[in-house]
Amino acid sequence: MVGYIFRRLGVLIIILFGSSFLLYNLTAISSDPLEGLRLSRDENAKFQIAALTRTLSLDVPPPLRYFIWLRGVLGYLVGQGTLGATREGGTVVEQISQAIPVSIRLVFMATIIAIILGISLGIISALRQYSRFDYSMTFAAFLMFSLPIFWVAVLLKQFLAIEFNDFLGDPNISLPWMIIISIFSGIFWSGILSLLDRRAYITFALASSLTFFTLFLINYLNWLERPRLGVIGLAIIGSAFAFAITAISVGIEDRKTLRASLTAVLVGLAFYYPVQVAFKWPNHNWVLLGLALLTFLSANLIGRVMGGEDKGPTIRTVTIVSVIFGILTILDRLMQVWPRYVRLSDVNYRPIPTIGDGRIWLEPVGYWIRFLDSLTHLVLPTLALTLISFAGYIRFSRGTLLEVLNQDYIRTARSKGLTERTVIMRHAFRNTMIPMTTILVVDFAGIIGGAIITERVFGWRGMGTLFNSAITNMDLNLLMGVFLVTGTLAVLANLIADLLYSVMDPRVRVGAGN
Amino acid sequence: MKKAKIARAGLAIAAAGALIAGTTVPANAAKRTTVVIVTSNELSGLNSSVSGYNLTINGDVGYLSGNGFNYYDNKKVLQKNTALGSYKIISQKPFKVQYTVNKGRVWSDGTPITGVDLLLSHVLASTTYSVAAGLGDPNDAEQTPAFDSLGYGGAYDEHHVGLPTLSADKMTVTVEYDAAIPDWEIVGPGPSPVHTLVHLAAGKTKLQSVSANEAARAQFEKAFNAYNGKFLKGLGAVWSKSYNVNKVDSSTNPLLLVGNGAYLVKSITPGQGISMVRNARYNSGPALRGNIKSIQFRYIKDGTAAAQALRNKEIDVYSGQPTADSVALLKSIPTAKVISVNEGCYEHIDLNVGPTYGTDYTYNGVFAGDSQKAKDLRTATLLAWPRQQIVDTIIKPINKNAVLMNTFTVLPNDPRAESIMKASGINTKFGGSQSEREAKALALVQKYYPSASASNPGFDVTVVHAANNARRASEAQLAKAALAKAGINLLPTAATNWSSVGIISGDYDAEFFAWCQTSTSAASPVGTYATEDNYQGYANKKIDDIYAKLKAKAYSFEETGKLYAQVDKEVVDASISLPIFQFPGVTGVNKQLKGIKPALLSPLLVWNYWEWRY
Repeated sequence: MVGYIFRRLGVLIIILFGSSFLLYNLTAISSDPLEGLRLSRDENAKFQIAALTRTLSLDVPPPLRYFIWLRGVLGYLVGQGTLGATREGGTVVEQISQAIPVSIRLVFMATIIAIILGISLGIISALRQYSRFDYSMTFAAFLMFSLPIFWVAVLLKQFLAIEFNDFLGDPNISLPWMIIISIFSGIFWSGILSLLDRRAYITFALASSLTFFTLFLINYLNWLERPRLGVIGLAIIGSAFAFAITAISVGIEDRKTLRASLTAVLVGLAFYYPVQVAFKWPNHNWVLLGLALLTFLSANLIGRVMGGEDKGPTIRTVTIVSVIFGILTILDRLMQVWPRYVRLSDVNYRPIPTIGDGRIWLEPVGYWIRFLDSLTHLVLPTLALTLISFAGYIRFSRGTLLEVLNQDYIRTARSKGLTERTVIMRHAFRNTMIPMTTILVVDFAGIIGGAIITERVFGWRGMGTLFNSAITNMDLNLLMGVFLVTGTLAVLANLIADLLYSVMDPRVRVGAGN
Repeated sequence: MKKAKIARAGLAIAAAGALIAGTTVPANAAKRTTVVIVTSNELSGLNSSVSGYNLTINGDVGYLSGNGFNYYDNKKVLQKNTALGSYKIISQKPFKVQYTVNKGRVWSDGTPITGVDLLLSHVLASTTYSVAAGLGDPNDAEQTPAFDSLGYGGAYDEHHVGLPTLSADKMTVTVEYDAAIPDWEIVGPGPSPVHTLVHLAAGKTKLQSVSANEAARAQFEKAFNAYNGKFLKGLGAVWSKSYNVNKVDSSTNPLLLVGNGAYLVKSITPGQGISMVRNARYNSGPALRGNIKSIQFRYIKDGTAAAQALRNKEIDVYSGQPTADSVALLKSIPTAKVISVNEGCYEHIDLNVGPTYGTDYTYNGVFAGDSQKAKDLRTATLLAWPRQQIVDTIIKPINKNAVLMNTFTVLPNDPRAESIMKASGINTKFGGSQSEREAKALALVQKYYPSASASNPGFDVTVVHAANNARRASEAQLAKAALAKAGINLLPTAATNWSSVGIISGDYDAEFFAWCQTSTSAASPVGTYATEDNYQGYANKKIDDIYAKLKAKAYSFEETGKLYAQVDKEVVDASISLPIFQFPGVTGVNKQLKGIKPALLSPLLVWNYWEWRY
């Protein structure tokens, strides 16, 4: 195993060396950093050309110049490395260290949502194979798969930012829209929950009337201008989640787990007002971290005390419910600052922005408004990335689950008399996740590589933008810096995926050839 | 699974339960006091005079945060900034210019501005001073000078005499030159907060008292007059390095942000933008007419994204390289108005006659040399080049007032353009309808290739242009079709390294690209065709003489025009180049914002910030 890892790492170094040498030379030969100056009519253009040639060592032929760069990189081994300076000033290391967090922030959330949504919709459509729902999911998946992101982005900006902001000027959902949305929601839920029979009509009627009622309340309470949940809202939504999560994870007939989940919700409600005070303390990040720890601890405690003999599943269920309740509490806090956020002069009554990752530059504002600001800036790019990437997850998880469901051990599990829920969640779903994992790891490495187009259309400066501007500015040092980071991560991610696979699937053994 | 429905019901009931009586928010904003401008480049440093940091955006921010003795308006006319001070020629022989700072002008930290603050300009532009004070030779290829300034090598460097002298009251500085140089107004000194440099070099991290600032300035003055290299090197390190930041926040040393401009940098977020706020002590420039409290720049590279941001009222001003689509998009925004202003760049076609001056390359193509054949083939190629068609099909959809350009040395809207055009004879030689010119060209080609025709080309012409540029690719296609009718086979190459391998190597017969004016120096348009400065291997003693004349002496506007006309005539006669069109520019502005007048020269948009108002 150790030998295998070292061998793979050795190969990694060779790959990186070879590809960086090639990239450096190809780029150096095909670009001219002096282009702008050659066209300059400034009287001291010649002096500037000399200065730039001096800075970038342009008088050294590219293959040799590569080794000047390499010497800087290898310098890190003795603690004095450098990736050089960029064309527009600043060092490459500085630029990359500014860009990586931005890239992660941009794509992390979208990837998580895409994974959760994609896998769950994929599983549902596999379970309802060849149903209306399955066909419409397949259709939707292929549709989104084929949408170009820049176009999706333009549409999202037009409808969800520009027109939605206009709408928020006088937020009143009109009757035709209420009806359309209600019908759509009815179709969606009846599709998920049942096949074409009498139950489908009941589901449809229930779901669409509930949606209609919700929309009506939103209008009536002026909720879009003053969104809030409050203790009562949290109580209702929280216990609804307690029921739902219990039903999915252990089955609603497991009364002690249900009781434990509801207790967790009660504890959360009991601490609602103390938590509101804690939210106002300084050092918000530490407070939030502490609250998160407390949540996990209390979930564990509740699960342990109320879990009976088989504590594991209860603890897991209570933890999920508690985490969801925690997120709802934070949402409630953000809703409280929403009206103030909208009124800021930097926001100017246009809460959903189309560009950038933040815009509060003038007024001194608190932690929660900043938090809300970065969330509003995440809405559109996250949605765009999710829309185009979760289609792949739907197809992949659907296919994998169907394959697993045909395995002998599923038939065995069913013939043992296990409930359908146990068969799906315990036996089938877990085995579906094995091939998914390898995809996820490689996808996460891709995150750092950046989403060039997404970053450009949404005005974020992550790794993708650096890569793009390195090419357009003929900035060799920056290009090589980005390449070094993304290349290393890509190769490492493949290694980690291979190792993970062997850990999760006992049938595969790493380094079996030795 | 039914529980999901319960969740939905929960949401509804929750909303009902949480009914809190609340006042509704009026959704109309108070009067706006911020102007948000889109920039495609990110700021890389606060000092745009440092070598490698002279980006447009660095210059724009520098322009807003610092006022000098003059500025260019949108008609390319140099205007005096009388709020800061005055300057005048006090003697023709020797040529002396005197700069006086008005009393009572202050830096943003409250320190009065004096003539001492003008002396740093000399350090930044004089090679002799740099060498004499032991600050390094700016022309040394190995070593960077202590002040890594872009000011060296210009007209000031070549022509100044001795040190600038300070008057007794220290408010007036006199600069002496060895000749009456034409660009004396542009190259003169400007104020720098030298006391902050001294404090920064001493490791201070907070704003100091006015008396401490005066003392620091006195220290600089002493060191300047004594050529104190050791002291100045410390300042040089600060000047060349400390300002090169792309991030400003509350931890930034406030000494770096001192200026005398109307708006000072408050925060810079890498990858996002710049926020500047009004300088409460501003009195070094024209009084602000509007109530703009803050000017912000947002970094947006994508034109569609910028247009949508304008529509979403996130930004107020967007200027970009337009396409027909982007202009239509901007025009569709109900809350914005669109201003069309041509840019300072013009597209042209160049034919090579020899290897580029000063290189080891050779050029032996069809156009090489002065022979009648080479000249006729060049004339034929230029005749058949579909210039009007390019303007009509590519440029007019963007700017319907676009015209075919017929001058090399001035842009079409210049009042001298008409007379220069007449004098050069460009319309006699290269005028007429496309079919007439193609026929003329074919006749010329047939002189040397008798069998040449539209279907049977006489010879090949290789042309190189920039890759990744859709406009140039369409130009190449139009030209190929048109030249074919004249019996010329055009072989276009799009290359990313067109500027090095392409136009210098001699591998190609022709190239098309754009020249951009970056200054109003009278000589620079002529420099394009000077023997040592053109890429075509074209040598013309007459043009060189005119170039030297314009560099050495100031001529009146009309006299300069007459010299330009001679240059244009030489270039037309030699058949080495033709201008095609001036670059169209478009600016989308929030309708409520008044006073935006885009200019041709840097600082393109912000030059008249004091006129802006809502």
